[in-house]
Amino acid sequence: MANYLVPGDLRYSKTHEWIKDLGGNKFRVGISDYAAKHIGDVTYVELPQVDDEIGKEESGCVIETVKSSEDVYNSITGKVIAENGDILNDNPETINNDCYGEGWLYEIQAASADDFKALMSPADYEKFLAELGD
Amino acid sequence: MSQKTPLFDTHRELGATMGDFGGWNMPLWYKTGQLKEHVATRTACGLFDICHMGEFIVTGNDTLAFWDHLLTNAVTSMTDGQAMYNFMLNEQGGVVDDCIVYRFSATRWMLVVNAGTQDGDHEWLKAHATGDVKIENIGPATGKLDLQGPTAPKVIAKLVGREKLADLKFFRFIPEIMIGGVKCLLSRTGYTGEVGFEIYCPMGDTKKLWDILITVGAEFGITPAGLGARDTLRLEAGLPLHGHEIAPGIPAVGTPWEFAINYEHEFIGKGALLANKGKLFVYPVIVEGRRKPGAHAHVLADGAACGEVVSDILAVSLDKKPAAFIRTTRELKSGDTVTIQNEQGTEFAAKVMDNPLWKGTSRKKMDAFL
Repeated sequence: MANYLVPGDLRYSKTHEWIKDLGGNKFRVGISDYAAKHIGDVTYVELPQVDDEIGKEESGCVIETVKSSEDVYNSITGKVIAENGDILNDNPETINNDCYGEGWLYEIQAASADDFKALMSPADYEKFLAELGD
Repeated sequence: MSQKTPLFDTHRELGATMGDFGGWNMPLWYKTGQLKEHVATRTACGLFDICHMGEFIVTGNDTLAFWDHLLTNAVTSMTDGQAMYNFMLNEQGGVVDDCIVYRFSATRWMLVVNAGTQDGDHEWLKAHATGDVKIENIGPATGKLDLQGPTAPKVIAKLVGREKLADLKFFRFIPEIMIGGVKCLLSRTGYTGEVGFEIYCPMGDTKKLWDILITVGAEFGITPAGLGARDTLRLEAGLPLHGHEIAPGIPAVGTPWEFAINYEHEFIGKGALLANKGKLFVYPVIVEGRRKPGAHAHVLADGAACGEVVSDILAVSLDKKPAAFIRTTRELKSGDTVTIQNEQGTEFAAKVMDNPLWKGTSRKKMDAFL
C-alpha cells in the first residue's frame, strides 16, 4: 500500500475529507492526502459561499480535475463562515501540493461538536485506508 | 485481481497513482501530475507503459481475404511495412474493437487491439478464420512502450542512428530494430496527435527498454506519463476511445473516423452501417465556463433532447477549456451551439467544433524533428 499522510490533529470522513476543530464549534474542512492523490491535478474549485447552510452528507463544494468533477461531502451540519477562494481561485493546484495546509476549502459553524465526534480518528482513518488496499 | 505489467514497481517508485483499466493495474499519473505529463508530451516527449494492449500474429495464405472480410479499411491496398487504423465490426455495425493492423508481408500480419477487449477479439478472430489463417496471441509475451512528442525522434535517433529514422513516414514501421540491445518493432504511430512511436518488444525486456529510453531521453525532456494524460491527449487529438465514442452496441456511422471505413469492399457490418447512415453522429465540443458537465450528460439542440456526452475532459492544450465528444441523433455543424444538461440539472453551453481540436505534429516529416 502507498503511504498517505494522516495528521494526528484532525478527524476524517469515509469520503476522505479532513475536519479540524477550531474551537467554539467552528470547523475547517479539506480533502485528505489520499483524496488529493487519487483525484489528480485540481484545475478549479467551486466553493460554497459564506452564510450558506450545508447539511451533513450534502455536497459542500465541487473540485474539478483534468478528468473528473468531484463532490466534496460535508460532514458537519452548519453555516459556512469562511472559504478559501483567495488562494484556490487562482491556484487550485494548492489542493494537490498542500491539502492539509493552504489547500483547505471552507470553515463551518456548527451548533454542537456531535457531528465532529462521530468522524474517524487518525488511527481509524489509517485502518480504513489500509482496508481499501491502496 | 487485475494484471500487472513488468513496470509495476517502477511506476510505484515514481510515485504513480495506479488505477484499473481493461483488467490491468496501470499508472494514471505520476508524482509529476497529469497536467505536466500532458504538456511534456506536446512540447518534449512522454513515455507511456502500454503493455496492457493486446497483440496477435496472423499468418497464412488466406489472411488478406480474412482481413478484407473482418476489417473496415482498405487493407488490400497496404504494402509491406505499412500500418493501418481499422474498425472490426459486428453484424449490427457496432465496433467489436478498433485496432491497428501491421503488414509484414501478404501472409504475415500483426493486429494490435485494446486491453479490455482482447479476449473477446481473440474469440472473434478464431470464429471467423477460414482456410489457411493461423492466429497466435502474442499479447502476454509482448511489451509495448509509447514514446510520443516532438523530441521523441531525437531520443530514438540517438539509439538507432538518424539514417534509420529519416524516411520513416506516419503509419509505417520497422519490423526489427535493436534499441539499446533490445529487439523491437518500431512503429511511427500513436494516440496523442504528436509525432512519436509505438515500440513493441519482448515482455521480459520492457523494463530494460524503459530504463534506456529514460536515460537517453533525459536531455530531451522525456517524462513518464500515465493513462490520464493519454486520455486528455487523445481527446484533443480527435481520437476515439473504445467503449465511449465507439462501442459494440452503437453502429459506427457519422463519426469523425469515417476514414477508417472503406465501402468499396464487403465486410462484416457493412449492411448495418448503410442502414444506419444519417441516424447517429459524433462531434467534439468545447464547453463554456470552467466546469465539465460529466459523462452521460444529456445534449439538447433548440430545446430538444438529441444525445449524450460520451467523453469529457479538460483540454489542457486549449487554455484548459472543458471539451467533450457528444453523440447525437441530429446532424450538427461546426459552430452550432448545443446545451448540455448534467444529472444535477446544471446546464452548460457548448459549441460544436471541427475534429481534431488540436492539430499536433503527428503527420509532419520526420526530418523536421531530427
